[in-house]
Amino acid sequence: MRGLLLKLEPLIWLMFGQGLLIGTMLLTGWVLVAGLGVPLGVVPAEALSYERAHMLGSSPIGRVVLLGLIALPMWKGVHHIRHLCIDFGGAHRDAVVAPLLYLTASVGSLLAVVAVVRL
Amino acid sequence: MARYAHPKAMSSSKPARTRTAPPQLPDQFPFEGRYRAYTLFDATGILYLMLGFLALGTIWSLGSGEEAWKGVQIIYRSWVYVAFHALSLAAVIFVGIRFFGFFPKAQPPRIGPLKPPPQPVILAMLYVAWIGVAGAMTVILAGGIF
Repeated sequence: MRGLLLKLEPLIWLMFGQGLLIGTMLLTGWVLVAGLGVPLGVVPAEALSYERAHMLGSSPIGRVVLLGLIALPMWKGVHHIRHLCIDFGGAHRDAVVAPLLYLTASVGSLLAVVAVVRL
Repeated sequence: MARYAHPKAMSSSKPARTRTAPPQLPDQFPFEGRYRAYTLFDATGILYLMLGFLALGTIWSLGSGEEAWKGVQIIYRSWVYVAFHALSLAAVIFVGIRFFGFFPKAQPPRIGPLKPPPQPVILAMLYVAWIGVAGAMTVILAGGIF
């Protein structure tokens, strides 16, 4: 398993880096509007009505943006959680923890693809 | 054919004669001094993972129809979700400022035949991109355009 993780290291770091860079850029606007603006009434609810949200999300660019918004933060998340586990619990469990975390992000990413395709 | 290096390839094959102290955590770890920001930066990973799965559930409901979408909108109005998103926004801004701050310093002196731009230019480009993407997304989602 350790050998496989080493082979996948470039891919893992690519996804982690994009999660930091693009994930942060996308999440800022998403959290501001969908997470805070609309629920607090600062942004009118019609802005994210079903028809409008579906129209935005089902466009080709919308699907790509949503895929990045869902999948990339997951990779940033699991990679940093892995390092938290190493820092607080030691590296001896990493052979189990790391594959579990990356499997979580992989499954989440696959589900993200399905979610944007079925829009 | 080149093989991947074993992570302990450079360690000695037999125990060294000079005894060394076992590794110890620094005194300030995890929440004092400069380790506070380090630990918090890693801890934002928990929020990012939760945000990713929350966004997945949200977009999944959007694909499930109007009733499911309206249900998610009602859930988002609960104080727990609002508090979570407020904390997440703080975390996202913290990650952006910290990551964009050390990104220019992490650049190699040369990328192939090219030299990367000066560090302040890279930093400015990152902030312009961040403000641009976040601003565009905010305006679009809030109904400002489209």
